[in-house]
Parts: sequence; structure tokens; C-alpha cells
Amino acid sequence: MLKILQKFFEFSGKENKKKFIASIILGIVKALFQAVRLPAIYVVVKGMVDGDFTKETIWTAFGIVVGGIIVQILVTSKSSMLQTEAGYTACADKRMEIASHLRYLPMGYFNNNSLGYITSVTTNTMESLADVATRVVMMTLQGLLEAALINIFLYVFDVRIGLIATAGIVIFFLVNRIVQKRSNAMAPKKTEADTALVEQVLEFVQGISEAKNYNMTVESNEKLDTSIDDASKICTDMELAFVPLLGIQTWLMKMTGVFMCMMSVKLYFDGNMDLATCIVMLIASFMVFAALESAGSYSSLLRIVDISVDKANEILSVPEMNIEGDNVSPATRNIAMENVDFAYDKRKVVDNVSLSIPEKSSAAFVGPSGGGKTTLCHLIARFWDVESGEVKLDGRNVKEYSMDSLMENFSFVFQNVYLFHDTIANNIRFGNPSASMEQVMEAAKKACCDEFIKALPDGYDTVIGEGGASLSGGEKQRISIARAIMKDSPIIVLDEATANVDPENEKDLMEAIDALTKEKTVLMIAHRLKTVRNADCIYVVEKGHIVQQGTHEELIKQEGIYKNFVSERKQAVSWRIGSFG
Amino acid sequence: MNENNKSASEKTEKKKSLFNRILEYASTKKSLYTQSIFFAVLGVICSMLPYFFIARIVDKLLAGETMFSAYYFDFVMLAVFWTLRIVFHSMSTARSHVATFAVLGNIRKAICAKLLRVPLGDVKNIPSGTLKNTIVERVDSMETTLAHVVPEFTANIAAPILIFIFLLTINWKMAFASLITFPIGMVCMMGMMKDQETQWANCVEKTKILNDTAVEYINGIEVIKAFGKADSSYERFQVAAREGADCYIDWMRNNTFYFTAAMAITPATMLSVLPIGGIMYLHGTIDISAFVMVIILASGLIAPFITLISYNDDITKAHTIFDEVGALMDMKEMTRPDKTSKEPKDYSIELSDVHFGYGKDKEILHGVSLFMKEGTVNALVGPSGSGKSTVARLVASLWDVDSGSVKVGGVDIRDIALDDYNDRIAYVSQDNYLFNRSVRENIRMGKKGATDDEVVEAAKKCGCHDFIMSLENGYDTVVGDAGGHLSGGERQRISIARAVLKDAPIVILDEATAYTDPENEALIQRSLAKMVQGKTLIVIAHRLSTIMDADKIFVIRNGVVDSEGTHEELLAMDGLYKNMWEAHIVARDNAAIENATMKGGEVYA
Repeated sequence: MLKILQKFFEFSGKENKKKFIASIILGIVKALFQAVRLPAIYVVVKGMVDGDFTKETIWTAFGIVVGGIIVQILVTSKSSMLQTEAGYTACADKRMEIASHLRYLPMGYFNNNSLGYITSVTTNTMESLADVATRVVMMTLQGLLEAALINIFLYVFDVRIGLIATAGIVIFFLVNRIVQKRSNAMAPKKTEADTALVEQVLEFVQGISEAKNYNMTVESNEKLDTSIDDASKICTDMELAFVPLLGIQTWLMKMTGVFMCMMSVKLYFDGNMDLATCIVMLIASFMVFAALESAGSYSSLLRIVDISVDKANEILSVPEMNIEGDNVSPATRNIAMENVDFAYDKRKVVDNVSLSIPEKSSAAFVGPSGGGKTTLCHLIARFWDVESGEVKLDGRNVKEYSMDSLMENFSFVFQNVYLFHDTIANNIRFGNPSASMEQVMEAAKKACCDEFIKALPDGYDTVIGEGGASLSGGEKQRISIARAIMKDSPIIVLDEATANVDPENEKDLMEAIDALTKEKTVLMIAHRLKTVRNADCIYVVEKGHIVQQGTHEELIKQEGIYKNFVSERKQAVSWRIGSFG
Repeated sequence: MNENNKSASEKTEKKKSLFNRILEYASTKKSLYTQSIFFAVLGVICSMLPYFFIARIVDKLLAGETMFSAYYFDFVMLAVFWTLRIVFHSMSTARSHVATFAVLGNIRKAICAKLLRVPLGDVKNIPSGTLKNTIVERVDSMETTLAHVVPEFTANIAAPILIFIFLLTINWKMAFASLITFPIGMVCMMGMMKDQETQWANCVEKTKILNDTAVEYINGIEVIKAFGKADSSYERFQVAAREGADCYIDWMRNNTFYFTAAMAITPATMLSVLPIGGIMYLHGTIDISAFVMVIILASGLIAPFITLISYNDDITKAHTIFDEVGALMDMKEMTRPDKTSKEPKDYSIELSDVHFGYGKDKEILHGVSLFMKEGTVNALVGPSGSGKSTVARLVASLWDVDSGSVKVGGVDIRDIALDDYNDRIAYVSQDNYLFNRSVRENIRMGKKGATDDEVVEAAKKCGCHDFIMSLENGYDTVVGDAGGHLSGGERQRISIARAVLKDAPIVILDEATAYTDPENEALIQRSLAKMVQGKTLIVIAHRLSTIMDADKIFVIRNGVVDSEGTHEELLAMDGLYKNMWEAHIVARDNAAIENATMKGGEVYA
């Protein structure tokens, strides 16, 4: 329990930790004044027992209670304010830290999965953390402090009773430790069941067409069925393991209370305690551990805090790339790779590749899928850092450029297009916010989107839905090309599979790409024979090596992958249904 | 505007049914929940009795009883009832949890089963991450409500009521006196509620902005970095993150006084009990033991209410969660019988006057009628957005028509059980998904109980046998497992082998998206060729040259059939088809033709 609280404080950062500590101190004061009801009761009981009960007694007791409440309100206001500030600010800070961290991650790290996860942590997880953390920290700590405070009060009344209460609190923590240990021991099993459940559910949801098409019901999909049952079972098991432990924990508290009562009565008889104190002790026996119990019942929420903190830390632990460097504008855009090696998770993807692409030439990368051609293009734009060897732009290692100044040189046309929730015009001028409307329209015309944009209800001022949802794939693609034309970078990296997005608009898309790549250095992951054939140099990439290299005329004469590729492509495009054999 | 109002009113309607929803889900484990509540109440009663025995002890002490043994019974009873209380409470908690986890499992299964019965398109419209989130995480978080709130709500309501009755029997004036702080606390709460609506709305708004900004920043990070905009976009994100936190902090700042006042005053029953009891004691209308008893009881009177208030937050959240789960459970199902009433006489396909739109806003098909003979090759062509893919999806029974009908072999497909119909249709597109199981299991999915030989034969037909055998564990290689690096094209060919094994009499082929892997396109085409022989085939064609030889080509334009006929017939009509054909010829990757004239090139026409 304390460990998680400590972890959370570490996570919150210095400033917020201070606020939390301040609020905890105030919390102690609050607990102190909440406990004044005991002296008030004592005053009344003592008056009655001793027979000197007067209006004065009533006023004294009332005064103590009212004073206690006023101080409580003042102190709690401040303390919960501090907690709220610290909790929400801590989460806002973490959000910013994650966002800032993203700036320094290699481009290659981003894919749909990682982005989905980061989004969910930054939004949902942090939201619930802000909410839960403020509540939980308040509840658990307050509970613990209150118990401690009442305990101190008891010492004031009678040391022996105080000792019994202390023993009770110590036992509480011992049992709580066992509960935590049990929970930690079961945690891996639970994680395993949860992971299996997530996997099976995702698979079911993603493969729902197949599930329907092949009449796979929930029951006949054994793995899904089992994973759901397992998840329920492990939760039930855990709960059933905890219920008796928590029961014992509470029971020990209660028994300590009973023991306190007995001791008080005994002490009174022995003449070691006056009657009023004894009666107040009997009353107090109901109160001491109520606070502790409520603190204990929040331990499940503490687990949420624990998990949330871990999730955020996981993202923050992804190693950053050093993107500092000189802001240089290279004189030429000659690209070179020298003995480059690269591996994803120890799987070698690029193996000792060297190449050189002169400025304003076009290079086509072809080869089997998974052969490494995309990775090669990514390495040139420093989406990843190479493992060994060097990637150079204008004879200078790409690592020596600051990321921004390196990116100045590149434009990318990939299959997944991201457009911002903003007007079309602003999306096009994204790279150059001061561009005039004329410039925007000119870029749009070149990218063959002027026509369809004008047909939209608000023309260039049409706001694009989240992720560009209201446009077709080809239209989004062309807007992204207009955006790239606007940026006017000297090097274009192009994945030609793009053209498959929307065959109806193929012609427009090709025109747009032609406009973009005119007079530029072009690196393309190529699929179409026509573009490949016109490339200045073709690189055939297989298993991380460049196995063939040259112009179309040169390569077509060699037996090898390229020749096969050409013939396959020709067959594919001339395929006719009914004409197969 | 209207739309907004409507959805708002729908929402409030849904919220009302929260309790019903809980009942609906809980009802499958009704007896366990009933037991849980029963034990919870027993536990509460047992937790009341110790008060009684403490009071007896105090009584005896004041009466001057000094024999320690005279108190034994009371102490034992104290211990016994505390123990019983804990036992009953544990029994209650255990039962509610066992029931709840079983219910959660059932809800998960129910959602999955439900997804199979709603139009596929509606399912596909929800991102898979969202669905997973609902089925796994959201359902998980229903646990608090179902397992804790049910028994503990009961207990926390029952306890104060019992205490109050107990107080009434001792001294009715004191009983009411102990309630005085309650209205005072409520007045403070009201001060807090004053502009809660606007504050809440402000926070919701700011949170939404924050989330939108976060989604844009994170998902657009590649573009942002590529355009060197990381700094300015980050600044925007910072502003949103700060505002997202500040709105809550401000809200707290406005309310904190009222809130803490309510929280401090309401449970402080001593505020009224001590002076009023004192006055009554002075007047001799209450004796010391009754007074002490009232003090003990009153101190436990309001606390459970405070606990209830803290559940309020959970219940607010439960609304959102149950609504989200409920929204899935309430999705409109396709109207299909459990049993097929009339068997189709053949596999011809007929659409008559079909109208259809996705959602309610826009009609896509405005009266499509067409007929496809059994065993023929039929192509749907047309500009993008014309509705040709929609026609195919309706035939595949992914959606239901709004009006008109789709018939197979003369029978309306809405009269055919979904299972039966699915058995007759194979729909091949890019989406074909492989499950993370062995290659063999994946192919076998095409036909329940197919033998290993049948699986291998299907694979051979599609030309995947060789590459499957070259995998580390052959047919037992687990797809997606680190060992089986399957390329997109290989995965697709396996999914086609699965469709081949299924051997459905109607095949729908969405050509646009069929090739995830341009490198393997030719291989995939060869596999497809095997599976479509002798079937009623519908091709959604994008590359017109592919379907030149089709028995019939349907040209779809603006949601209606513009014209139909063979390639030659349509060309002769000099209409849309001819224009499309000419555009296609220009755009076509005509390297093959050019290449024939080049030296060293071989001709593969």
C-alpha cells in the first residue's frame, strides 16, 4: 500500500509531490480536529459521572465540537485543494512529458499499434489516474493518519490502552502485507489471463467477417470461449483468496477493540482509570479502526494507480533518438549509404548495404515483400538510426543534422495518410502556414484535387472530419500530395502501393505524383513497371541485400529476381477472369 | 440541430434504464445476488448488536457493578457478534463476486454473439480497438458496480435505518436530535450543486478538446515531425493539457468550501447530540446510561451515508459504462429467421428495386434491379462512389436492404437463416483475416470437420502447398508466431485456400482491395482462378481489362444500373462504359505492350 503511494509520488514530480506532502500534513491536522469529538464526549461523560454536570459542561463540549468542525473545514478545504491541484497537474505534466517524448522518438517507432496505445494512455489512462489518484490518496492516507491520531489520543488517555491499539495497527499492516504478497503472487496469472483475453477478443473482432462468413459462433470458437471463462475464473479465484484474508484483517481489528474494552473495564476496577475515561474508551473502541478499515477498502483503487503509472512509464522508457544537431541546409542532395546494417528486435533487416543516389535522380526499390526495401528508404530519412555504417546527405552523416533541418529535405507519400481536423486549405498549407490562398490552390491544382475540393460544400474551407473520414482514400491521398507540393522538399520518398488505394482515381493520382516528383530526387518503393522502367537506377532488394542494381535495360538481360518480377507484373496486369488456365 | 436534440433525449432515456440494465445482467445469477444481499443485511444486524452490549456494560459500570465476571457474557457477545458480522459480510462479498465475474463473462459472450447478428458493416464501423476496449476493459470496470454497490449499498442503507430505529426505542427526541446535522450538510451540498451543470459542461468540453488534441497530435506525429512542426504542435498540446487540468482545479476551487463543510458537518452528530442531550440530562428527561448509549449509536449514524455519497461517483461512471455496453447490446440485428423456411432452387441472384443507405442520412442505391444467372461471371463496374461495392455487400448479406429485395434462387435472403446463407457465400477481399493459429486450422475454418487431406488439397489448388511446406513447421506453423513470417501475399493466399475449401456456390470478389501485396499479385490471381470455376461469380472490377470476358457486366452509376451487357455490347452502346474503358487504356500499366518491341524483352501477353 505504502509502496504504491510512494511510487505515485515519485511519478508526480517534485512540485506536485510537495503539494501532496503539504496536503498530507494538513490532513494530519484535520484528523486531529476530527478526533476532538472524543475529548468533547469525555467532558460530558465526566461531568455526568462526577456529578458536576452544568450548563458550562454543555458549552464546553459544544465549543470543542464547533471549534473542531471549523478548523476541519478550513484545513480540509486547503488540503483537498492542494490534492486536486497536485493530482490533476501531475497528470497534465505526464501527458506533456509523453507528448514531448514523442518528439524525440525515432519515426520508425510509430505505427498504428504504438500510436493507438499511446493515445489510449495519454487520454483514458491519465484521465482516470487524475480522478482516482486524488480520491485514493486522500482516502488511504487520511484513513491511516486518522487511525494513528486516534491512537495518539488514546496514549494521552491511557498508555496501556494506547499500546493495545498500536498492536492492532501493527497487525493490520502485517496482514495487509500478506494480502499484497498474495496479490503479487497471483498477478502474473492474472496478467496472463488478461493478455489472452485481449488477444482473443481482438482477433474475434478483427476477424469478424471470417467468423461470420465461416459460421464461427462464440461457443465454437473455443479459444475465445476459454479465454473469457479463464478471465472470469482467475478474478473469482483472486477474490475468493482475498475475502478470508480481508475478513481476518477486520476481525483482528475488532478483537483488538474488544480487548481494549476489557482492559479498560479491568483498569477501572483496579483503580488505574477513572470511570469517565473508561466509558470514553468503550465508545472509542468503535471508532479507532473504522478509519483503518476504510483505508484498506481502497486498496483495489490503489491497484489502478499502480497500473496507470506503469503504463505511462512504459512509454516514457522507449529510448529517445538524439535529434539535436546542426541546422544546416545541404548544398547538394546526394544520398549515400555506406556499409549499413540494421535490425528490428535482433532480426537483421538490412545487411551491409552501400549505395549512392545522385541529386535529382530517381531510385526505384523493388523486390519481394519483407525484403527490406521499405526499411532502406526509412533509414535514409533517419526514421531509425543505423546499427553500423553511415547514411549521408551531401556527404554529411544524417545524425549531424538537427531533425528539423534534415526533415526540411524530405517529403513522404505513404499509404496511411493523416489529415488534421482543420480546413482543407490549412491542411495543405500545414508546412507553410503563411502561404496565400492562391498558393494553396495552385498546389491543389497540381495535385489534381482542385476540382473535387471546389465541389465540397465549403470548398477549401471545408473542415475535414477526424482522420479525414469524410473523404475517399484517393482524395485524402491527393490532398497529402498537395501538402507535400506546398512543402517543396528536394527529396521525395514514395511508396507506390499508394496507387492501389483507389483504382478509379489512379489517373489523377499518377498526375499528382508526377507533379510532386518533377525535378526532385525520388526514392520509391515501386510496383508499377512503367515507373520502375523509367527510374535512373533500380535496386533489387532481397533479404536485406541489394542483389541487383542498374537500369531496366541492364537488369532485364540478367537472369534473376528482376526479370521474374517483370514477367509477374505483366501477367498480373493483363489478367482476365475466365482467361486463366 | 434536430439530430442533436434527439440524441440527447435518447441519452436521458437510456440513463433511466441503468437500474434495469443492472437487473438485466444480474438476473442470470439472481439467486447468488439475493443470497449476497441477505448475508449483507445479516451482517449489518450483527454489527448493530455490539452497540447494545457496550451499552449494557456502561449501564452496569454506572450501576456500580464491580465484579469483573459479571461482564464476561457481554464481552463474549461483543466478540461473537463482531465475528458473525465479519463472517456474514465475507459471505456476502464472496457471493456477489462469484456472481459478478460469471455475469461479466456472460456479458462478454453475449456481446460477441451479438456482433455476429448485426450487419457486419455496422460492426466494421466501430474501430476494433474500441470494441476490444468495451468488451475487455469496460466490462471489467462494471465489476465495482455489480459486486460492491449491490451488497454494500444495501448494507449502508440498512445500517443507518436500523440505528435510527434503535435510537427511537431509547429516546425519540434524541433520535431526531441526532439527525439535525443532516439538513445542514444538505444545504451545503446544495450550495455545491448550484452551478454544477455549467462547471461539469465546461470540464467535459475541455476534456474533449484535450482528447481531440491528443489524438491529433499523437496520430499525426509522423506528419508533424516530417513537416518540422513538432514544437508548435507540442505547444498547442501543452495548452490543451493545462486547460484540461485547470478546469477541474477551478471547479474544485469553487466548490471545495461547500463540499468540505458538508463532509465535516454532516457526520458530526455530536454537534447536536451533546448539547441537546446535556440539556435533557439537566432537566432529568434522560438518564446517563441512555445518554451514553445515544452517543455511541449516533456516532455511527451518518457515516454510512457518506460512504453512499462516495459511491455516487461510481454510479455516475457506471452510467457511462453501462450505456457503452448497452449501446452494443442494443444494436439493430439483421432480420433473419433461425431456420430457413424455403430452400433456394438454384444459385441465381436477383435484386429488385433495391434502395439502401448507410445509416439514415444518405441513400446510396436508388432502386437497383438486376439478375445474375447461376454459374455465370458477373462484373460490377462504375465510378467510385457509384454504389457497386454496396450492391455486392448487400448480396453478401453484410447489410439488409432498406426496401426492395435480394433473392437467391427465388428466395428472399431475409427468409434464409444467417448460418445457411453464410455457408453459400464466399466473400474475398483484402480484409481476409488469419487467426493466430496454425496454418492448417486457418484453412480448415473453411469447412468444419475437413480432413487433413482436404486441407492440403485446397492448399495445393491455390499454389500455397509449396511455401507452406517450406515453413518451419509446415502446416502446423502458427500464423503470426515469430516462426512463421508470412508476407501479406502469403497470408492472402492462405485465406483464399480457406475459401476454396469452403467451396461456396456464390463467390464475391472485391478486386479493388484484393491485392495487398503487389509483388504477389499474379500468384494470388492464379489461386482465385481456381476457386471461381463453375460458381456464380460477382466481381467488383476496377481494372476493366480483368473482366472483359465476363458473361455480363453491370455498369452502376449514381446508385442505379446504368447499362448492362457483355464487353462488346457495352462498347457498342457508346456510353459510360466506353468512356471508362478508354480512360482505363490510357492509365493502364501498358509496359507489357511497349516492352514487346524492346530488345531483350520477352513477350508475356
